[in-house]
Amino acid sequence: MRTRFHLIHLVTGVLIAVFLSIHMVRSHLDDILGTDDPTSWESMMSRATDGMWVALYIALLAVALYHALYGLRGIILELTPSARAARVTTWCLIAIGIAAFGWGTYVPIHLLSG
Amino acid sequence: MSQREHKENYLGARGWVWAGRYQMERHLYVLHRVTGLGLLLFGIIHLIITTFFRMGDKDTWESAISVTHNPVLKVGAYLVVVAFVFHALNGLRLILQEFGFGLGRPTPPIYPYTDALRRKRRLAIILIAIIGILAVVFLYDFAAGGG
Repeated sequence: MRTRFHLIHLVTGVLIAVFLSIHMVRSHLDDILGTDDPTSWESMMSRATDGMWVALYIALLAVALYHALYGLRGIILELTPSARAARVTTWCLIAIGIAAFGWGTYVPIHLLSG
Repeated sequence: MSQREHKENYLGARGWVWAGRYQMERHLYVLHRVTGLGLLLFGIIHLIITTFFRMGDKDTWESAISVTHNPVLKVGAYLVVVAFVFHALNGLRLILQEFGFGLGRPTPPIYPYTDALRRKRRLAIILIAIIGILAVVFLYDFAAGGG
């Protein structure tokens, strides 16, 4: 089971590399690509009302949260806490992940519908 | 005394930020960890800004964005991009290594020995070169006034 979580860590890493590359190129190479300023309200709203971008952001949020929190868990567990402390750490990180995903999904979907 | 000798190359928690007398890959490991934590910190801030300020109107959004046009935060944003490029490509190297790609054929142990780390070092150096090139591309865009 642990190896499976680790394998998901690798797969989410590759997925982040793909999704975040799209996000980084769109958000930072605007001068080279000749696109509009990605931080302007109009540019942001055009993506917020486009289902493809919203889907990309939500997918990126899901894989990034798993990858980041599992990586953080690995670093914390390297401090060799007791089994109980390790369990508490794991469940705290799961709770943080679910809360962040819930909030980060609610906002774009709320804006997409309104 | 023998206990001390045994711990000669022991880094402990210091090893999180310092590679000691280990080889190049250990420095990449330290950077991987530092950039990972940095990206996590940025991700939290990014999630907060892009949700809370987006719930408001145009003025709320633009006043929040104008804060990020501060030159110090521009440099920070550039470092985030470089950290992402490094973390992604070094992560790719780690995945290739974990699944045993680039190990080459086994050879008899005749001096001078070639260990697995040295065989894979060429890949590591190529990846560092790609990271450098991408860092320059993004630096060009940041210098051109991009965000």
